[in-house]
Amino acid sequence: MSVLGTSPDRSDADAKLRGQAIFGADLSRTGMLWAALARSPVAAGRIRAVDSTPALWVDGVLEVLTSADVPDWRTGVIVSDTPLLAADYVAYEGEPVAIVVAESRTAAEAGARAVALDIETAEPVSTPEQALAPGARLVHPDWNRFAVAGGADIGRGGNVVAEVVHDPGDLDEAFAAADVVVEGTYRTPRQYQAHLEPKMALATYESGRYVIEVSHQYPFRLRDRVAQILGVAPSTVRVVGHHIGGGFGAKLDVSLEAFAAMLARRFRRPVRMQHTALEERLVAPCRANAIVAVRSAVRRDGTILATDVEIVSDSGAYANNGPALSSIPMFVFGSIYRVGTARIRTRNVYTNTAPTGAYRGVNGPWLVFANERHMDAIADALGRDRRDFRLESLARDGDLMRNGQPLSEASILREAFDRVDELAPWRDIVSRNRAQRDIVSRNQAQRDAAARSSQPAENDADVLRGAGQAAAIWLTNPMPGHATVKLNEDGTATVITSATENGSGAVATGLRQIAAEALGLSADAVTITMPDTDATGYDAGSQGSRTTHVVGRAIADAASDVRSQVLDRASQMLEAAPEDLVIADGAVTVAGVPAASLTLGAVAQAATWSDGPIAAGASYVTPTPPHDPACATGMLIKGWPTPTYHLHQAEVSVDVVTGRVTVDRYVVCQEVGRAIHPGAIAGQIQGGVAQGLGFALSERVDLDHGRYVQRTFKAHGLPLAEDVPKVEMIVMEHADPAGPYGAKGAAEPPIVPVAAAVANAVSDAIGVPFDTLPITPEAVLEALEAAS
Amino acid sequence: MPVPPSERDVTIRLVVNDRAHQLDVDAGETLLGTLRERLGLTGPKEACWEGECGACTVLVDGGPVASCILAAGSTSGRVVRTVEGLAGAAELTTLQQAFVRHAAVQCGFCTPGVLMVLTALLDDVPEPTETDIRQALAGNICRCTGYQQIVEAALDAAASVQP
Repeated sequence: MSVLGTSPDRSDADAKLRGQAIFGADLSRTGMLWAALARSPVAAGRIRAVDSTPALWVDGVLEVLTSADVPDWRTGVIVSDTPLLAADYVAYEGEPVAIVVAESRTAAEAGARAVALDIETAEPVSTPEQALAPGARLVHPDWNRFAVAGGADIGRGGNVVAEVVHDPGDLDEAFAAADVVVEGTYRTPRQYQAHLEPKMALATYESGRYVIEVSHQYPFRLRDRVAQILGVAPSTVRVVGHHIGGGFGAKLDVSLEAFAAMLARRFRRPVRMQHTALEERLVAPCRANAIVAVRSAVRRDGTILATDVEIVSDSGAYANNGPALSSIPMFVFGSIYRVGTARIRTRNVYTNTAPTGAYRGVNGPWLVFANERHMDAIADALGRDRRDFRLESLARDGDLMRNGQPLSEASILREAFDRVDELAPWRDIVSRNRAQRDIVSRNQAQRDAAARSSQPAENDADVLRGAGQAAAIWLTNPMPGHATVKLNEDGTATVITSATENGSGAVATGLRQIAAEALGLSADAVTITMPDTDATGYDAGSQGSRTTHVVGRAIADAASDVRSQVLDRASQMLEAAPEDLVIADGAVTVAGVPAASLTLGAVAQAATWSDGPIAAGASYVTPTPPHDPACATGMLIKGWPTPTYHLHQAEVSVDVVTGRVTVDRYVVCQEVGRAIHPGAIAGQIQGGVAQGLGFALSERVDLDHGRYVQRTFKAHGLPLAEDVPKVEMIVMEHADPAGPYGAKGAAEPPIVPVAAAVANAVSDAIGVPFDTLPITPEAVLEALEAAS
Repeated sequence: MPVPPSERDVTIRLVVNDRAHQLDVDAGETLLGTLRERLGLTGPKEACWEGECGACTVLVDGGPVASCILAAGSTSGRVVRTVEGLAGAAELTTLQQAFVRHAAVQCGFCTPGVLMVLTALLDDVPEPTETDIRQALAGNICRCTGYQQIVEAALDAAASVQP
């Protein structure tokens, strides 16, 4: 019986439910020291002096290090712009300036607070608009001395970290031929990952090697980044991964680990670090705030002749992965709907704010927000039904994305529109909402007519209802992975990999099921290791929904090799040809002869003591899809591999008295290739939608002169249990020939279309376009006020 | 310099997961710190230190409390239960088993606090409505699940202990 499409228990559930699971933040080591960072209290300024003396007076403090005591080179994932400790100037509030080492956590934190920083404050470059203004102060005066990985030309200049330009040229003609020109500017704030477990590091230095124990999404990148920062060979760094208390992209790069490693060597003692609650808020690599301006040339018949897209995203004080993410608009505009000839320019800019970074669905939520708000705007301008207009505009099989990549399965999205309509018919919803709108206006008219109206309201008279749709095509991250599968002598199997379990279940269930399926085992007969960069092949971590697809494929290939070894040995033992043998239910049996059977344990035992233990390894990386390398300048992500297809439909009520938006019904149709673990996929859809609803309606990350306004968990407005409706789900399967049993990525994309669908629904409800997030009650009331 | 009285250690006696302890705690120490640092109970999680996220929730005399903002010195004579004390070394509780069945655990960092809140709810209200459950969880942030599978697990657990 197949274990695919079933939902076996997670391998980590028991430990997590008993409070036994040791997360990074639970680690400690006998004899360990604690270290803490003194961080800049201002967004910008010149460092005049750092006085360590007050910190050294704190009982238990051993040493205070400043920029003079640590490696003085700058490093980075793409642009080497980030110092380990700021030397001459600080570029954001929270930038590390000094590090305090102490015998206890309390002493380290007290010492860090005591370090006296003398900083000549400068007026910060607070917003992307300010960064791009003529004559703007440069966030990094020496920007052109920063090295770029591989020497790539990413269009840097002044405060522009990266620029990606796709310009086919003939837009003016199209705009001249247009019946209607529709313009919109779509603004979105930062979004904070809000993983619960703080960032931490525990480092030791033994026999010339650094050992870093951590909860991290991408241990191999961490290994390489620590090596880059310390100026040592990556092989001298070993990263051991523990349970991760949430990451959502925030735990993909280095944070405290290099400091801890450096100090572990300096003191020859284990060194532990952990963010305080405030540090978590100040230096989280939030989703970038962005401004997307879209202008479309449209013919009366609904044909979009051309689209001009101008994007600015905020990198914060350092580049991080912003230059790579700047390629992503190329895969959104023109991939979902036919948008005619498109010019797309994306600029990622430096500001004096905390560096932004990866958050689930990188750039997607705001790009799809702009794309789908704009589709509604065009439909409204043409007086067309919004769903009909979408269906007519959908990309077709064989259309090319803006990078020249063929959309071979675009029709899956059309199927998604059909499937959602079967569950929640658009026409019925629209006519019901229209009727409700008439009731509300009648009631308002009655109230206006007679201030003391004794007539009761017809029904929930102050509630307007609206509906919205948003579609997306999202990638499955292609980056490399490796797995070793070994058949144990008791007939169970072990998968050895550094794939990381960030909560999705991809490792705790999905990968085990893939190995089990290949070896004729139940999922609970497969164990899987925790990450260890010394012990496994390279793995590109938990990002972009890659684990099930990429690591799963490596496991399927390795398991296939293990199967061959089993069949070879069993064919000798059973005196039957390998092709006549069947592996199922933990046994190898001669087809049609149930008595001629051996347990996998017996085969493994025999093999171990004759040919040697049964094991095999395999690697996989998704090939880059065919594309036109000359499609744009500055592009670091060239293709959109293993795409999946998504349609979300939101129905909302807007209380015109309180401004409160309630999501009454939320439908997701998601294509996953093949559903390995339906329970885990449901969890990813429900959880992704919850994060998307937060981005749409309640979450706030505001900046005031470069400094974060929200400094507590509560202030961020994260969705609570009472705020999130049960999401209705349709899971579509279109097996990917390259995937393990057809599986594609599933975990990341449920967040991507949410804000767009909700904003379209709210705009529909109250008849005022919402092109800025979040749509808080205050924003709704303001919009209603302005409209009346 | 003499230590002012407010910063002196405090001796407390409390029962944690059915075991009595006498401990000298610092004046400013939180119950969470005591449980994690002195008793090695790392099931209650430290996350926000603001009493906002609920990951540190334990039961004090049967009621859910954010242990990250509760002074350890004030807990003398109290009975404390942490997530480690729900099942002990025995099989998982009905609620915990429902969490496994409903895939209500993802990263698992909020899980210890969520379990304590729901355990207290089910003790008080054996047949809670979905609204009861969602309201009880108002002090617990789960960033992974979107809450649905947690709510379903709690409903299922309540149903499975009914006669």
